[in-house]
Amino acid sequence: MQNAQQTARVGLFFLLGMALIWVTFETLSGGKILRDKGYQIVAGFDTLKELKEGDDVRMAGVKIGEVAATRLAGRRAEALLRIDTHQVIKEDASAVIITNGLIGTAYVSIDLGSDRAGSLKPGAEIRTRNTPDINEVMAQIGDLGKKLEGALQGISGAFAGDSKSPGLVQRIDQLVTDNRENLSRTTANLQLITDKVNRGEGTLGRLINDPKLHDELVAGVADLRSGAAQAKSFLASAQSLVDEVKSGRGTLGTLVFDQKAGDDLKASLASLRSVSDKISRGEGTLGKLLGDETLLRDMRSLLRKADRALDGMGDSGPLTAVGVVANGLF
Amino acid sequence: MNPSASVTSPRQGSAAVGVSVEGLSKDFSGFPVLRGISLTVNPGEIFVLMGPSGSGKSVLLKHVVGLERPSAGRVLVDGHDAADPATRGRVRMALVFQAGALFNSMTVYDNLALYPREHRLGTEAAIRDKVMRSLQMLSLENAAGKVPAELSGGMRKRVAIARALVMEPQLMLYDEPTSELDPVMSATISEVIATLREQYHVTSIVVSHDRDLALGIADRVGILMGGRLVSLGPPADLRAPSDPRVADFLNPSIDLRNPRFRRLAG
Amino acid sequence: MAAETSNPPEENESILTSAPRQAVRPFLRVLEGIGSCLRLLLEAARHIPTLPRQFGRFIEQCYLIGYTTLPIVAILSFFIGSVLALQSGYAAANIGPKQFIGLLVGLSMARELGPVMAAVLLAGRVGSAIAAELASMKVYQEIDALETMNIPPARMLVLPRLAAVLAMMPVLTIMSDLVGWFGGAIVAKYTHFISIEPASYFATMRQYMDFGDVLNGLVKAEIFGFAVVLVCCNIGLNTRGGPREIGASVTRAVVTSLILILVLDYFVTKALM
Repeated sequence: MQNAQQTARVGLFFLLGMALIWVTFETLSGGKILRDKGYQIVAGFDTLKELKEGDDVRMAGVKIGEVAATRLAGRRAEALLRIDTHQVIKEDASAVIITNGLIGTAYVSIDLGSDRAGSLKPGAEIRTRNTPDINEVMAQIGDLGKKLEGALQGISGAFAGDSKSPGLVQRIDQLVTDNRENLSRTTANLQLITDKVNRGEGTLGRLINDPKLHDELVAGVADLRSGAAQAKSFLASAQSLVDEVKSGRGTLGTLVFDQKAGDDLKASLASLRSVSDKISRGEGTLGKLLGDETLLRDMRSLLRKADRALDGMGDSGPLTAVGVVANGLF
Repeated sequence: MNPSASVTSPRQGSAAVGVSVEGLSKDFSGFPVLRGISLTVNPGEIFVLMGPSGSGKSVLLKHVVGLERPSAGRVLVDGHDAADPATRGRVRMALVFQAGALFNSMTVYDNLALYPREHRLGTEAAIRDKVMRSLQMLSLENAAGKVPAELSGGMRKRVAIARALVMEPQLMLYDEPTSELDPVMSATISEVIATLREQYHVTSIVVSHDRDLALGIADRVGILMGGRLVSLGPPADLRAPSDPRVADFLNPSIDLRNPRFRRLAG
Repeated sequence: MAAETSNPPEENESILTSAPRQAVRPFLRVLEGIGSCLRLLLEAARHIPTLPRQFGRFIEQCYLIGYTTLPIVAILSFFIGSVLALQSGYAAANIGPKQFIGLLVGLSMARELGPVMAAVLLAGRVGSAIAAELASMKVYQEIDALETMNIPPARMLVLPRLAAVLAMMPVLTIMSDLVGWFGGAIVAKYTHFISIEPASYFATMRQYMDFGDVLNGLVKAEIFGFAVVLVCCNIGLNTRGGPREIGASVTRAVVTSLILILVLDYFVTKALM
């Protein structure tokens, strides 16, 4: 009868429909029913971000499973990862959530781990790393900025000081101002000494005429020179420090970018210039003695002590002491 | 009216049932069709209901099988309210519709076999046997494979009766079973109705205009006019009706000089 | 006293029937429709145990509802998918992300147009046929005959149809989805201002669509199909009057079905979100 044919057609039709639904399901949802084997591991994170059920689990970019479930476990979020049976995850491998692009898809990336490590057992917990997302990074940069500002304020304070304690540059400035008298007197004395030496008078005059004394003087000068050399090496390291600052390395480097710190620095430099201006006024005299302008400000207390030393040139002891003083000064 | 003594399963026992109509009124959207009809049909009786067209005969039948709900009063079939759908499960009733009401999508055979199949009365072979016997009774064997659209009006009517027979009813209701039939076939139908009563002791209610049928097989005849029962009695009463309207209905004289439509207008 | 006052209520009723009732008649009819549908549904549900016996009828209805409706569903879905691809391609031509046409067509077909188109065609092709058949059975007293035979129409006529539509709607819908997708893919490849490869068309679909989207559509289709068949059965069975009413019933059944599909669509879509 035609009835049988009709039944067969309807049956075929229905089966075809079910098959199509199944194919669609397989294609769109990756056939969870069929492949819902494999094994599960647990991955705990501070936050799962945009990770949701059904997202991929990838190892070195290859899909090896998917997120079976997400849940809160106490103070952290856990993702249950379903891993294909034949995929091995090393014990020291770690999982990271990667958020992908603007559309907001995410996946769990598991690294390969080391060769020698054992493999994770089903149900075990995998190590995880929390990667900062962009919002967190921004927040940290903000923090860093604040800290830098604080540091720079400390530095400029050290240079400029405040009303109670004078800054470094101010101190130097004051030192030079206070000792101007001494300095000019020292210079005058030096002139006098030179004259006396020229005329063969006094201790120095005798020194030149007396070979024994001359030798002693030479040794004293050598001492003085070694003291100067030490001073120079210190300055060189100071210079390198300055270079570092100039090249923008280190915390100080950022000084350049900060308007306020820059202003402070400018003020400090102005003070420094006034110091050097003052020094340059005494240049002619001091220059003759040492031939190194940069040492001028470093030499001012040395000269004071040298003045005293020259007064008692007779005994050889004090001359060697100059080196010691030079050392102590720096 | 009829004290329901038999609560036994109607399917097994083929005991005839009585019908009692108590003060039945029915109106369709305000228009009264039946007005307070009371009558009793005894078990095994052939009751013929006559009356002019539109007098409410078919509506009364529909009340008996529960297709219509009364506006007032009630109809009891074997003591059960006919308006209750459960009554159809208790009492086997068959209505032979005026137009047949055959299932147009089915063959004659399937029309007849539907009832026993749906109610699972026997195997397919037993059903076939029963259906063929019914068809033979109304000489319809050759029509078994046809669909109703291929049948003439008279054949449809006979198929409708055959379909009712297959149900082996306790109560048979016929709505104009002999209309549109030639005199011989009308006589055959009348004989079938009478034979069923003889063989199966079926209670029958026949709505008909057919005077021959009424006089030939009826135990009692009721005449319905304008929604009221105007006459009730044995067929012998019909020969000498007291009511002039009834007399005119039963023996209409054709008077060409004074036609009725002019009489009414005047 | 009770006998004396039995007349006034009748008059009250006739007053009620006139003016105020006239105004609320449309609402009453809607409520009446909903009520009778639910009654029919309950009546049919009562006979679910008889369904195995009615396997033949179930298959016959499956054949009518599913098998014979498929060609028109396939043709219509193909063109719906094509037009979707064409229109979205036209819109995307100036913006750029043309490969997302695949996703757009895929989602639209699966979630919305597949089920709605299948249901609309069901209403037009099957719903009208059901309404016509049942209305003619009612007008020619076949329904009455069934009732006198103690065979409830809900069991013999309604239940197999409801069961069949439930079985066939997913099939029709998935066909509609797939044909629509492929129609879109073909148009996307061969239209000069779109011309994207089917591979990338389907890639976006696969990447961003879930079976849940398709399932959503299948559930919707089930609801639409069920509602359409139920409503058409109900309208057919409630036909009154002569043969002329058969045509009126068919019209009413189709119009009601279409309205119902779109109204249900909103609520079901929202409920499934």
